[in-house]
Order: sequence, then structure tokens, then C-alpha cells
Amino acid sequence: MKCRIIIDEHREEEVIVYAHERSALVQQIAQLATDEGFSLIGYRDREAVPLTPSEVICFTLEDGKVYAVTDRERLWIKSRLYQLEEHLPEQFVKLNQSCIANVRRIARFDTSLGGALTVIFQNGQRDYVSRRQLKHIKERLGL
Amino acid sequence: MNTYVKTFLHRGLLFGGFGPIVVGIVYAILQATVADFAVTGGQVLLAIVSTYLLAFLQAGATVFNQIEHWPLAKSLLCHFATLYAAYTLFYVGNTWIPFEPTVLLIFTAIFVGGYFLVWGIVWLCIKTASKKMNKKLN
Repeated sequence: MKCRIIIDEHREEEVIVYAHERSALVQQIAQLATDEGFSLIGYRDREAVPLTPSEVICFTLEDGKVYAVTDRERLWIKSRLYQLEEHLPEQFVKLNQSCIANVRRIARFDTSLGGALTVIFQNGQRDYVSRRQLKHIKERLGL
Repeated sequence: MNTYVKTFLHRGLLFGGFGPIVVGIVYAILQATVADFAVTGGQVLLAIVSTYLLAFLQAGATVFNQIEHWPLAKSLLCHFATLYAAYTLFYVGNTWIPFEPTVLLIFTAIFVGGYFLVWGIVWLCIKTASKKMNKKLN
């Protein structure tokens, strides 16, 4: 793969990748680019654990506490969900009042017979898409 | 007071007034087209109160669709039950339809058909949106 770097102080910093498919390398580049400049601290009991956005599958609100769900565990985040929403990178989108999802960790969307739209994450976890957020999610996906 | 109850009342009060306007228009059309059309003061009063309450309930019931922690089937059932009960009660109460089993059956069939036709269209829209979003994910 060719690599070209243009140093221009006047333009917004951006990484554009032309690729034939979404390979592991492309994923790594995307991960590096979006994680840059944003870090998060999660708590496992009293132990602080640094987190990068790409590690997080989703942020969920349970019993008034916000948790970051990763492939391995759930870490407590000392922030309100709405505060996170304001600062998270673009790959995150609010699904409902108690869940913000990492779009890159969504396996697929599913429609139940009852008409509810649900999200199935890569780890098999499911959550519903609120009707209020649907328009927003579609916009985020470029629809 | 619960937020949803407040929204129900707020919407109901906001749109309830449209009911009597509709009944006024219907009576005006009937008077212009039907020979010797006449209604008593009592009938008019009953029609005004009924249509106000119908519009109130119709507008207020939209809140069921916004209760996020309810499954859609439950929202749908509550919305349907509220509208069906209200329409049947007020139509029969105003003698706009006679209280006869056959008529009630036809009324129910039309109501259910119309309601689920609208619902089917909504479901198809959600299904299509889900397909499009899955394509974007890939």
C-alpha cells in the first residue's frame, strides 16, 4: 500500500485510506486515527484502567452508573452519559436513553416482529434502538 | 406527575378542540346535502363533548409510542385498545352506528384493518431502514 503524508498547517487533520477491502491494516489505521487525542479512564473496583475508544463496545447506564463494555469486562466510568456523548468521537452514537454504541462494534441491526429495531454487537450483546434516535443513527451512517 | 401522563394531558388539551370543529363541518355538510336534516340541542351537545374527548384521547395516546422502555408490541396494543374503546363507545353513544352485533363486527373489521394497514406500512419502513443500515455497516 502506498503512503503519502502531506504536512499542511492550514488544513484540518484527516486520514483518508483508499483500499480494496476493510482489511486488518485498514482497521488498525482507522483505530489509530480515531483513538488519537481521546482517552478515558475506567474503574475496575478502585483500580483505574486507561481505555481507548476503539476498545469500547458501548457505554451503558445501569442503576444510575455508567459502564464501558469491552470485550473482556465492564468498567465503571465516572461521567454522566450525556457528558460522554458530547466528547466521544464520531464513531459513537446514542441508541437509547441508556446506551451509546460504538458503530464499529455493531455486528448488525435487526427488526423484530413487534417492529422494534435492535442492535446486535460483535460480542453478541443486544440493545434496542429508540424510535427517537433512529433518525440520528441513520444520519450518522450516512443515510 | 409522571412525564408521560403530563405529555398525554398536554397533547390531549392541545388537540382536543379539533374534534368539535370536525363535528361542526360534518353537520354543515349534512345540512347542505340531506333534506330535512335536523339535530336536537342535546344531540349537538353530546356530539361536541364526544368529539372533544375523542380528539383528546387520539392525540394523548400517541405518547404510548414514546415510552422507550416498553416493547413496541405493548405500546401498539395500548394505543390500539385506547382508540378502539374510545371510538366504539362514542360512535355507539351518539348512535352514529347502531348497537347491533353485525354492525359492531363490521365496524371492528374496518377499524382493525385500517389500523394494521398503517402499522404494516410503518413496519416495512423500519425493516427497510434496518436493511439499509446493515449495508452501511458492511
